[in-house]
Amino acid sequence: MTQAFAASSDETMQQPTVRVVRQTRSSLIAFAVSIALLVAVASMPLWASQGLIRDVVELCCYVTVAQMWNLLAGYGGLVSVGQQAFVGVAAYAMFVMAQLWGLNPFLAVPLSVIVPAVVAAITYGLLHRLDGPYFAIGTWVVAEVLRLATSVFGYVNAGAGMSLRVMSSYSPMERAVGISLLSALMLLVAVGGSYLLLRSRYGLALVAIRDNPVAAASQGVNVGLLKFLIWVAAAVGTGLAGAIYFMAQLRITPPAAYSPTWANVSIFIVMVGGLGSLEGVLIGALVYFVADRWFAQYGATYLVVLGLLTLVMALFARGGLWGLIQKVTNASWFPTRRILLEDKP
Amino acid sequence: MQWLDGLIQGILLGGLYAQYALGMALMFGVMRLVNITHGDLVILLALIGISLASTFSMGPWSVLVVLVVLGAVIGVILQRLILNRVVGADPLPSLIATFGLSIALQNAMLQIWSADTRSLEGGAIVHASFQLGPLFVGVLPVIVLLTATVLTGGLDVVLRSTRFGRALRAASADVEAAALTGVNPKTVYTGATAIAVAILGFAAVFQSLRSTVAPADGAFQLIYAFEAVIIGGMGSIWGAFLGAMALGISQSIGFRIDPGFGILAGHLVFLAILALRPQGLLGKG
Repeated sequence: MTQAFAASSDETMQQPTVRVVRQTRSSLIAFAVSIALLVAVASMPLWASQGLIRDVVELCCYVTVAQMWNLLAGYGGLVSVGQQAFVGVAAYAMFVMAQLWGLNPFLAVPLSVIVPAVVAAITYGLLHRLDGPYFAIGTWVVAEVLRLATSVFGYVNAGAGMSLRVMSSYSPMERAVGISLLSALMLLVAVGGSYLLLRSRYGLALVAIRDNPVAAASQGVNVGLLKFLIWVAAAVGTGLAGAIYFMAQLRITPPAAYSPTWANVSIFIVMVGGLGSLEGVLIGALVYFVADRWFAQYGATYLVVLGLLTLVMALFARGGLWGLIQKVTNASWFPTRRILLEDKP
Repeated sequence: MQWLDGLIQGILLGGLYAQYALGMALMFGVMRLVNITHGDLVILLALIGISLASTFSMGPWSVLVVLVVLGAVIGVILQRLILNRVVGADPLPSLIATFGLSIALQNAMLQIWSADTRSLEGGAIVHASFQLGPLFVGVLPVIVLLTATVLTGGLDVVLRSTRFGRALRAASADVEAAALTGVNPKTVYTGATAIAVAILGFAAVFQSLRSTVAPADGAFQLIYAFEAVIIGGMGSIWGAFLGAMALGISQSIGFRIDPGFGILAGHLVFLAILALRPQGLLGKG
């Protein structure tokens, strides 16, 4: 961790110099592992099969959507059950740009996040008037409105949905390279970006808001503005995941694009993994991904267990699996705390 | 003429929505929490009612009595086992807990009753109608509206003038101060949830008599109840009733403009209220 404790004491009394330590040994290891994983994801076309690439892209999308929900609920104090709104509008925006306007689809993915940002900015103006739990159901209404409106919108082929036929002009290798690079970029932005955000002074302000908005405001934090910005940022991240997910699917329909499953999955991942921590999201996403592969064949029973597990976590283990791990060992992968150390000369 | 018909049908539809909304207004007013399983409980009670009716060949009115009692029991269990542990200033635990329960309930119902849509056999009354000027009005929807009115009025009287109602209002104003004056919050909370779910027993019977129910329908009932409460004005029982009417009318008129626009029209009216009058129709401020 640091050599400060090992330093021998000196007889001369001095004003102790205090040092702020942000990194720990575990975080340096995690940093190296993260870089390696990012490189692995980006280079998938060189070593992975088509099936594995598809699975990893899906996992990256879950991690991103869940991490955005974690930013909202775990830090911004905004509980949303309507994140599928942003998945849907971004995915549809990507399909429109690529299929109808003839834009390069790999360029359309990053461009498509403009739409969820605009939708988020507009809806926040309405939704922020709702209190706590009502805010959550308000987000669901927004998602429903967008689903219904898309279903009657002839320009995007209404309820019948669209296919991304332009992708057939790229070879499978080109597609694999594009989608792998986009997935790596998405992970970098979602996890790396969140980490940088939480380490910055805005991260401190967010934690202060989560713990007590009134006290945070009294310390000079602009609570309203910060909540608005985190809401828009989360919409952008969620939208990016939606655009990449449906690029891999090659087909989109309103019920799939605006499926409440997105909210279910992010809530499950964050609550089981651990609310308010980056590590928890990664653990939760992995748990969900493995469970989905192994138990999805049991259909409804599997979902009953998933729901009950979420309930049990909310009742008895709010910190999720990461919270339980933290009780045993305090080896943070992505530390956002500041540790004060006294330098002894 | 079709607009007048739309208006009348909308008010009648609002009667059903009011039965969804009353319990939500009561629970939010008292505990500041939203029970995400609200709609799923309507469906659960309806499916139990349909099974009871076919197994024991019970009529709809005896099913109603059973479901209201069962609803109250479910309410007590829900409060004791789950909601009492998550009620508090932070909205997250109660939302997540009931959200998880909602997913579990929906899928459990899917296992037991399959995804088929079902409805309750009500005999002649379901199809009976009478003429009102140039319009035909169904007898059942009128019964639904009357029931909703009586339930709203009854709940209002209970809140205004009974000992329990005073305890409820005290707990909703300031739970700690209420506890100081001898009100037991847990008892009050349990009572509120029991009443809320018991009212859903009425909603379940009328929903399954008027149309159909399927395990995944609960989300819509939850959203309609929520919209009615917000349109009407939070914390007001008659507001929830009025909001339900506004929602029913919007949907009914919307359906007559375009069948694909009905539900959307209801949502849009809700968003418009949020933009123009966020405190709701009867809300103060």
